[in-house]
Amino acid sequence: MKPSIGLRALSTAVLLFFVFVTGFPFLIMVSVSLQSMSQVYSRELILFPSNPQFINYKTAMSNGNWARYLWNSLYVTGMATILSLFINALTGYTFARMRFKGRRFLFFLLLIGMMIPPQVTMVPLFSMMRHFPLAGGNTIFGQGGTGLVNTYTGLILPYIAGSFGVFLCRQFYVSFPRELDEAATIDGCSRFGTFVRVYLPLSGSILASLTILKVTGMWNEYTWPLIMTVASSDRVKTVQIALTSFRNEGEIFWNQLMAATLVVTAVVGVIFLCLQKYFVAGIMAGGVKE
Amino acid sequence: MPKGPKGTRIFTRGDREAYAMIAPFFLFFIVFVLIPIGVNIVNSFTNYNLDTKKWVGLRNYARLFQDAYFLRSLRNTAVYAIFSVIPLVIIGFVAAMVVKRQTRAMFAARALLMFPYVSSMVAVSMVWLYLLEPTNGILNKLLGAMGIPGKKWLFDENLALPCLIVVNIWKNIGYVMIIFLAGLAAIPKELYEAGRVDGAGDFRMLFSITIPCVRPVTVFVVTTMCIEAFKTFDQVNIMTNGGPLNSTTTVVHQIYVRAFTEFQMGYASAMSVMLLILVFLITCVNLRMGSGGEVE
Repeated sequence: MKPSIGLRALSTAVLLFFVFVTGFPFLIMVSVSLQSMSQVYSRELILFPSNPQFINYKTAMSNGNWARYLWNSLYVTGMATILSLFINALTGYTFARMRFKGRRFLFFLLLIGMMIPPQVTMVPLFSMMRHFPLAGGNTIFGQGGTGLVNTYTGLILPYIAGSFGVFLCRQFYVSFPRELDEAATIDGCSRFGTFVRVYLPLSGSILASLTILKVTGMWNEYTWPLIMTVASSDRVKTVQIALTSFRNEGEIFWNQLMAATLVVTAVVGVIFLCLQKYFVAGIMAGGVKE
Repeated sequence: MPKGPKGTRIFTRGDREAYAMIAPFFLFFIVFVLIPIGVNIVNSFTNYNLDTKKWVGLRNYARLFQDAYFLRSLRNTAVYAIFSVIPLVIIGFVAAMVVKRQTRAMFAARALLMFPYVSSMVAVSMVWLYLLEPTNGILNKLLGAMGIPGKKWLFDENLALPCLIVVNIWKNIGYVMIIFLAGLAAIPKELYEAGRVDGAGDFRMLFSITIPCVRPVTVFVVTTMCIEAFKTFDQVNIMTNGGPLNSTTTVVHQIYVRAFTEFQMGYASAMSVMLLILVFLITCVNLRMGSGGEVE
């Protein structure tokens, strides 16, 4: 199909418009992160500051304990991703390849779980975390202490069971030939052994998709860390929560705020650019099939 | 171990192996998803406030319908959803149409358009807070250069919600575009060839082939984006904190405020139940519309 010249020109013009509208705010972010405050306050619009103030990045990162915040985010993201991925793949394999009583009902339950907005459970989850037995000074009845509030465990636990990931893995494994399982069984593998030795090594693409979806989701998470973090403590404060604290101190240093925003965004941005193919594949698999 | 009719075990060895393999998932799923939902429903009939918990029957639900803040948040959320989703579908479709060719430049453009979707709502909010800042924000500087007086944007009762909607649209165009690209790729090429043979022009083919073919994808996009809109919180809490004069408070923002600043956990639970019902309703309505399309 060859569109007419006029249509092509229109299409290019629209594309350029999209590129401008999407890119402009990011350009401003980079620009402001390199300006001095007097340039930020000046009346004219400065896109390319004459003497870029790279010092803003250093000042921004020393506003609070940013090494700690970055580590907290990395740790929470990493742990949640590794744990949930293994469990997702294992569960997806079981639903795709094994027959057992109650399979359809359990899968239905899991699909229902995909529809439940996490905001619906955040209030009871918080009190569960606060009254977690024998944690954070709590008694065995969950009284007296702060439980898992302001701990890594409290931040990670609700993200380990992901219905969506199980669903994607099941769809992926269903397309595998059954002979794989039969051959593995003849060679004396248990079903779990088959999963670990045969299926997992062939799961590179689905695991890459799930990894990037989970990593961006965890890194960008705001609501749950906001509830679970004690504002005055840096112990488990993640980068997203730390970003918001730039606004809580009277005058806003926009240049530092934009520098920190760029650092926080760059981490997922780089991962996204490297694994873009898998990110798109993951989104599409979740949306279009079935 | 329960026994079957002829003394055989109901659960075979294979069953037990499967249960062991799905056990980790269901352990976390039951403890951190299903039980909290049950607890939430029970709490919605109590006056739970972290210390005491007394049964109050339907009082929380009755209060919901007299609570001006909650009613306002419902209205705001509905406006936010409708005015985000309709433009998103149209703009996302147009974006997919202009980047659908398989060239290097197109792949670069796709990556750029996806970037806001991958960024966190916190980061996006921070950048837009600066763009919309009334005294030295970029938008007012641009308007000033054109001789138009600046606006107060997020500090203006009538403009704050529209601003949040624009930011939401800006952030999600890339996602909608990707879903439409998948839908476009699934349209059989023969349809266009047949259309060409019949002498159809570009616009005729757009309305007679492309748009009808992406209908199922459209239903999916509308459903997902609607649900996302009903869950909006980050943006509101960061950019406006529900203000000015509650003009931007949303359902989840009300849940957050009631539960975590006023500690009225029971009342907030009733709101959460309403949110759950709303999300289920949206899904059902959209699925109905989607399947209706296939029957035609």
